[in-house]
Amino acid sequence: MIDTYSRHRPLALLAIVVVAQVMLLAFQIKGEHDVRLIRYWAVALVTPLERAGTWSFSKVGGAWGGYVGLRNARAENDRMRIELDQLRLRNRELESQAAEAQRLTTVLNFRSAHPEAAMLAAQVIGSSADPTSHTLFINRGEHDRLRINMGVVTPDGIVGKIVEVLPNTAQVLLINDKDSGVGALFCATRTHGVVRGSGDPDPRMEYVVNDEKVQAGDVIATSGEDRIFPKDFPIGTVESAKPGNPFQVIRVQPSARLDRLEEVLVLLTQQEVVIKKPEAAASAGEGAAAAALAPDATPAKAAAAKSAAGPQ
Amino acid sequence: MLLTRRPRKQRRRNLLLVLSEMAYMLNVGERSDPNVEVHKFYGGAVLAVCLLALVFQAFLHKYGRWSELIDLPLLVTIYFGVSRRNPVTGLFLGGTIGILQDALSHDNPIGMYGIAKTIIGYLASSIGGRIDTEHPLSRFALVFFFFHFHQVILAITQRVLLNHSAPLFTLRLLLDSLVTAAFAVPLFALLDRLRRPS
Repeated sequence: MIDTYSRHRPLALLAIVVVAQVMLLAFQIKGEHDVRLIRYWAVALVTPLERAGTWSFSKVGGAWGGYVGLRNARAENDRMRIELDQLRLRNRELESQAAEAQRLTTVLNFRSAHPEAAMLAAQVIGSSADPTSHTLFINRGEHDRLRINMGVVTPDGIVGKIVEVLPNTAQVLLINDKDSGVGALFCATRTHGVVRGSGDPDPRMEYVVNDEKVQAGDVIATSGEDRIFPKDFPIGTVESAKPGNPFQVIRVQPSARLDRLEEVLVLLTQQEVVIKKPEAAASAGEGAAAAALAPDATPAKAAAAKSAAGPQ
Repeated sequence: MLLTRRPRKQRRRNLLLVLSEMAYMLNVGERSDPNVEVHKFYGGAVLAVCLLALVFQAFLHKYGRWSELIDLPLLVTIYFGVSRRNPVTGLFLGGTIGILQDALSHDNPIGMYGIAKTIIGYLASSIGGRIDTEHPLSRFALVFFFFHFHQVILAITQRVLLNHSAPLFTLRLLLDSLVTAAFAVPLFALLDRLRRPS
């Protein structure tokens, strides 16, 4: 009997355990009781582990995510930095192109607006190596029919004159060079003088007597007496004026930005140029061809404009 | 009526014989070869793994329904059953895991998984001593079989005791069983490392 029991003990235990659970089920279903104690123990047993698991999972996941994210961020940062540098370069290039286009447009408009004066656009390709000498080189030369003493201007004002002509290059002496001299006059009073370079960035207007009333801001234009620049071309404005011996010391702020020249116009003739305002020049530029086709209208227009502008 | 009614004593003897035969079949572990190797585990390993299985089963639900494909408590029950090869500990371990699984689910009455896993634990322990349970293929087949057997017990329990309509077999269950069996192979290999060297 004992042997039989020991042989069947596991099976008996299985039966007992299963029957016990069936009764437990029946108790729960029939009586609609919930075995809260077992659930409570189970939850109490498992919940701390789940909490620890969730905590460690989130920490590890967060650290891992942060690490991977940081690595990605670093890689992305490097990539974007390179891209930013490339875009900066590209932006500078485009800005440069836009500025160049703007300058060329201005030059072209100016040139088109003054078909009566033959002009040749040129690009500044270099400057003097001597810091005391204010000269620059342009990419036009003898092959382009350039000659010494031709005037060089921009739409803003005069720049200088050609002092050396090579086959494909020409050297321009700027108006602020100490060897330069330009016949000038005050637009308001028509008082004549000479704008000379002083070695400083700003030239001076000389031979103006102390009695002459000169104020800062007075406009100075070419007088045409030097046979280089046409009459009434802007030179600059008075920056300061003070009495001197025997003439006033007048500092002139050049209209053309002599330190930032890139495109210039070479005047192939000494014919008078009537300076037009920028908007007028632009609109005139559009109708340049028409103007060129009717050269006879140009002197009349110039005269009319001159009389309308008065002293300037 | 040519058939005559057998005497009550003979019927009783026949019933005892059938039960004895069933007991033999179910009690294979007890009658297995005593030279069969019984694996021992490091102290606390069984408890820790069972708890972790329950925790992971409950925990991974938060991270997607893919975790429903695998029944970790069932795998642990089978593994320790076939490894320890003791039907008594197997049934108690399975029963405990099943009851805890029931307790952790909010709508299952206590005992539903308990009954199923008690039987699975007992059978796994009994079979562990009779067949090779070390080879990956046999492990795969064993888990596949036990998964469906577990499902059949669950379905019967639900139908008979709870009056719920539970399927005995579906394609989803087939997929679940395949995934669970495939997952069991590396998991069992991992759990083998917890065995104490003999």
